[in-house]
Amino acid sequence: MILRLQMKLFPVIAFVLFGGFVLAQKSEELIPKDAVTVFSINNITLLQKVSLDDLVKYEFMEEVQQELFDGSTSGKTIKESGIDFDQKLNVFYGRGETHEVQGFTFGIKDKKLLFEVFDDFEQVKSPYPGTEFYTSYFNNLIISGNSALLIRVEPNMNTVDEMTDSIWYARGNENPWYSEDSMDEGIESDEEVLEEEIYEEMDDESKPGSGYDFPSASENPNEKNYYELRDSVQIVLQNQFLTGLCEELLIKKMNLVKFDARFAEQLTHTSEGVFYLDNSRNVQEARGLWYFQTMFPTLYKDMQEVYTGNVLLGDLLLNETSVEFKMEARYGEALGSIYQKMNDSKFDKNILKYINENNTAYFTYNVNMREAYEQAYKVIMPILTDERNPQMSANVLTIELLNEFVNKDALFGTYKGSMFGSFNGVKKIKTTKIEFIYDENTFEYYEKEVDAEEDMPIFTLGFSTERSDIPEKVLKHLARLTSRFQNMGDYWVYEDAILEAAPLYMISKNGMFIFTNDEDLAKNHSNGYGGDALSAKEAKKAKKSGFMYGQIDWAKAIEGFPRDFFTDQENELIDAMRGKTGKMELTTSKTSKDKTSFDLVYNFGGNYDNSGKYLLDLLNSIYVISK
Amino acid sequence: MKLFYTLVLFLSFFGLTSCIEIIDDISLKNDGSGTLKYTINLSSSKVKINSILALDSLDGKKVPSIPEMEERIASFKKKLSAKTGISNVTIESNFTDYIFKLQCDFTNVLALQNALKDVIEEESKEKNIPELDHNWLSWDGSKMTRSIPEITVKKTKDLKTEDIELMKQGNYTSITRFERPVEKFDNTAAVLSKNKMAVMIKTNPYALTQNSNILENIIYLSPIKN
Repeated sequence: MILRLQMKLFPVIAFVLFGGFVLAQKSEELIPKDAVTVFSINNITLLQKVSLDDLVKYEFMEEVQQELFDGSTSGKTIKESGIDFDQKLNVFYGRGETHEVQGFTFGIKDKKLLFEVFDDFEQVKSPYPGTEFYTSYFNNLIISGNSALLIRVEPNMNTVDEMTDSIWYARGNENPWYSEDSMDEGIESDEEVLEEEIYEEMDDESKPGSGYDFPSASENPNEKNYYELRDSVQIVLQNQFLTGLCEELLIKKMNLVKFDARFAEQLTHTSEGVFYLDNSRNVQEARGLWYFQTMFPTLYKDMQEVYTGNVLLGDLLLNETSVEFKMEARYGEALGSIYQKMNDSKFDKNILKYINENNTAYFTYNVNMREAYEQAYKVIMPILTDERNPQMSANVLTIELLNEFVNKDALFGTYKGSMFGSFNGVKKIKTTKIEFIYDENTFEYYEKEVDAEEDMPIFTLGFSTERSDIPEKVLKHLARLTSRFQNMGDYWVYEDAILEAAPLYMISKNGMFIFTNDEDLAKNHSNGYGGDALSAKEAKKAKKSGFMYGQIDWAKAIEGFPRDFFTDQENELIDAMRGKTGKMELTTSKTSKDKTSFDLVYNFGGNYDNSGKYLLDLLNSIYVISK
Repeated sequence: MKLFYTLVLFLSFFGLTSCIEIIDDISLKNDGSGTLKYTINLSSSKVKINSILALDSLDGKKVPSIPEMEERIASFKKKLSAKTGISNVTIESNFTDYIFKLQCDFTNVLALQNALKDVIEEESKEKNIPELDHNWLSWDGSKMTRSIPEITVKKTKDLKTEDIELMKQGNYTSITRFERPVEKFDNTAAVLSKNKMAVMIKTNPYALTQNSNILENIIYLSPIKN
């Protein structure tokens, strides 16, 4: 459990501890090419705005200092950590087919000070010329010149299990899970798991001695039981993968910067932080695709090609009163052709009529589903058809027949692809409750249903349609099935649809089909809000944006959160955010055949020294939640 | 009254976030036997309860499903029915409006208290709850004494501010009925029914948890007419 926790905390601690530093030298050259996600932080500009003295006052910093600055370094701060603040800090993570890597790279200014911080690390002989190698449990610290790589390599459990099983059976053992002899030791009961967790959480001094009930060894004490074998396999694989990674990085000098020119280019940006996510490799290693990968290997390979070149590149800019995250989604020709067709759509102005100017948050989404479908059919069907597999052939035939027989005009006329959603805060909604009425003569009582009100978040979701007759058909049918569905003229109502207490309203007008729990919208504004709709300025922004636009009024959203629905910890975060006003706005570019750009800007108000400090406030709030 | 403890257990599922109404109604016959009716009305918070029930867990606690709650209620009923001096136990569960009604007959108030103490201890993971040692009902044939267990006060110290506010909005109604007229009673907050056969005290659950004496009452009955 502690191991899992450490794995989880590892990048967080890394980010938090060194999140404020960097720029210049070569720390990025130690990022392994196995890294799929990298957040690279440029130090200087951020440090100008946030003092380290302020930094260490944060609650999350206290914990981090306990984590890395243990007893021997008490009273020290990050200032005394020996880190070179002129180099970039690069936090990375990557999951491959057989193992995952995570860690960070940074510059070193004073090695002596560094090892007062990393005092748990022990030096081992380095097999790589010009490098120093240190280890602490599963963490490895590699120093090359004035840069360091702190890395953890973990084999995927599937790989470990596969290899363990193979060795286990090759040695003539029975199935470890079902054989009569090993049933008891093979399957961990909840209690056993709990015991192990308790044991791991104990202080060393509190741990029981040799009498503790570990999984028993086999009859031959020289022969490992299944768990011992699995642990051994895990360690061997861990070393093997680490060795492979180090040879590639330190001998062949192959790193992510050399491996991917897009990342190298991204690192030249002078923003406070840059982000890189190789989505194509994420797709390749997606755990959920194992069946697809096993059953249809050719198809899987062809689909990978569709995703080739799919990468997300981002820049984080911190300004005095705003935080801006610019992101670019790049993709290959095949996927780009689908996205481009998808975005070849005219904005439906009717949508804007149904968004109230006093909304708390809203988004608009505008795509051309018909064009996207046709293009996806053109791109993907040849790939599917090439797969020589009876099951896939049957699927291809089904898709081809559906393509021929289904009335696509009706289908894509019903849902064209333009939609919107809005959150209008929390309002009182009408419900009923039971009251007990007392007889004054006897104090006997009886139940009476009376009107009541309860708080409910108010949402509206709507989409453009050319075929409003089709959803109307469905509603009429449902109304015949249950009296809870009623046609009220301007709108439909489904009684007690939400949490079995509140009605859901449906409006089918003006080429729109809308779901909402806002009684006011259904009853009084079924043709739109008119003068109370979004201002022309706001509407223009939504229309001008690419396929998506979104906005949140943070102050209103925070005030509108119903506290009862959140835990104490979540409420702590919400409280921390209260008073921090501002608007978050997401805009997108027009999609081209090779990229789409996203721009998320958070303009804030409130009493802040600077945006870096504001970011740390946010980070601290997140820490409070996760601790 | 001890059922308030059961209520606390019940409310722990809902994080004590619901606006509640409780009616605690004891009918006592001249021979000391009687009927307890205990009603919990959460209908004014049904949206909130439905939303909570839609979650797997809340604030680190597992949210029980309706079948799990039904099972627990059935277990409570079975255990209570098996206790000496207790009969005709019924529990009505209305999961649409969230109204729960317990009713049982008892041979004397001591049997009722012992039965409830036993069942609460059996249902609770805690054993030997010292607060349960206290008797909150006594009857000597002409005088009825009622109070409230201290455990409720103890439990309230853990409440969040929002929960306290919601409890303040709730209602707690305690009714004691007799077969003959009431002559007088000590609690000035209590009211007598027009037919003089029942005494009622209304408060809110929060006040009750803060002041265990709020429902304390000694009710004196008029002599039995031969």
